[in-house]
Amino acid sequence: MSATKAITGAGAMAEAMRQINPDVVAAFPITPSTQVVEDFSQFVADGKVDTEFVTVESEHSAMSACIGAAAAGGRVMTATSSAGFAYMWELLYVAASMRQPVILTLINRALSGPINIHCDQSDSMGARDSGWIQLYSENNQEAYDNLVMAPRIAEDLKVRLPVMVCQDGFIISHCVQTMKLEDDAAVRDFIGPYIPFHPLLDTDHPVSMGALDLQDYFIEHKRGQYEAMMNAKDVVKKVSDEFARKFGRTYRFFEEYRCDDAERIVVALNSVAGEIKEVIDELRSQGERVGLLKLRLFRPFPYEEVREALSRAKVVTVLDRACSFGAWGPLFAEVRAALYDLPEKPLCYDRVFGLGGRDMLVEDVLSVFAESASVLKKGRVDKVFDFLCVRGGV
Amino acid sequence: MKQRMDGKAGAPAAWQELTPGGIITEAGNSVAYETGTWRSWKPIWNKEACTHCLTCWVLCPEEAIGLVDGATAAGKGRKQIAGIDYYFCKGCGLCVRECPVNKKGKAAPLTFVRDEK
Repeated sequence: MSATKAITGAGAMAEAMRQINPDVVAAFPITPSTQVVEDFSQFVADGKVDTEFVTVESEHSAMSACIGAAAAGGRVMTATSSAGFAYMWELLYVAASMRQPVILTLINRALSGPINIHCDQSDSMGARDSGWIQLYSENNQEAYDNLVMAPRIAEDLKVRLPVMVCQDGFIISHCVQTMKLEDDAAVRDFIGPYIPFHPLLDTDHPVSMGALDLQDYFIEHKRGQYEAMMNAKDVVKKVSDEFARKFGRTYRFFEEYRCDDAERIVVALNSVAGEIKEVIDELRSQGERVGLLKLRLFRPFPYEEVREALSRAKVVTVLDRACSFGAWGPLFAEVRAALYDLPEKPLCYDRVFGLGGRDMLVEDVLSVFAESASVLKKGRVDKVFDFLCVRGGV
Repeated sequence: MKQRMDGKAGAPAAWQELTPGGIITEAGNSVAYETGTWRSWKPIWNKEACTHCLTCWVLCPEEAIGLVDGATAAGKGRKQIAGIDYYFCKGCGLCVRECPVNKKGKAAPLTFVRDEK
């Protein structure tokens, strides 16, 4: 039976992992790893899962072990965060290019230095070109739901790519919220049995994986990998629709909050969306036409859908919780590129906020909307890129 | 010449024809890989000087040394060297260097020459 539970974001992900009951979990259990691994290891110790739990000596080894286990023919998961995720880097690309549907729970935290592992999205944004599907989650319910959907998306034969499910560090991962935990059997029924694809352990049909691939074939394999990533859009839609029918919660590539007649729309990822919605409700009660587009699917990026959703806005403010030094923010770069083909483009600018866990308070969100009101009034953007809430000003 | 990874004849495969991630589903398809294109030096086998000790056959990393059924002077059956398959011979020179008859410095079963192809 489904149950309403008060649980942390990390705990919600661990519960999803318990229900998925993967064949192998390989993870490095020390900081900056998260409570996800700790909670899941308890499930292993208590015999609540059949998982082979491999405590490796580093995240580099964790992802290596995941790739090997996935190639052998298992359903495989891992969990990490921040610098641990960065240490997986080389193998992130290998998992994606070998088309192994590894599932990663990523708790978004800063990359040092100076030393900091508090909330921002520098970790996952840096890996946006690694070939992983990226799903973002506003709260623990969304993190749980995204994770329940992840194996179906990753393992679809049109896709066969790894998926990372992201949630904000500490703000969500370590904070207790109530959420609906679905019934174990219902989740397992939704996910279904794992169907291996050319597994190495099928010795009647021997295969080689990860062979040398030189100038004459490498780009053809990359072309195929790109196609699989683009196929993921349809599969994400199909799986999300099925999830909605079974569990009653509807997810699309993004959530449009009060966007219907909105003149000024903020685009954001993850937990800050909660505060933005609060502020939008308040401003709407004062007659302001404001809305939020909260992106769920960042890779593959739904350009056409984002363009259509923002086509009637006059001002689009993008909030990036990651900094691409010397460039515009990663979310902004995509959103602005998506708008380029509109005959009448909204004004569009980027604000970086909240690095290293700096709070984004309700009054800060109010000032974001105050600025977008001023941009609308002036009819032009004076600064395309800036930081928010930084001492010393602009 | 370009090779097809699946070992079939014809032009190299288009991306749509490839397996996800380049999984190789045919065991032993390296027989279709022409390592002979790598060669800049070439071993020449001199049948008259060869004692058929098979040292080169054991050591060749590309299995480019061929064997045939033969017989000893006493008429007993044995394997003999048949020659070098230049489709696979990459010209590493290992056979030339390790040939025990070559090492004696008399008639050379294997000589190493510049490959002028």
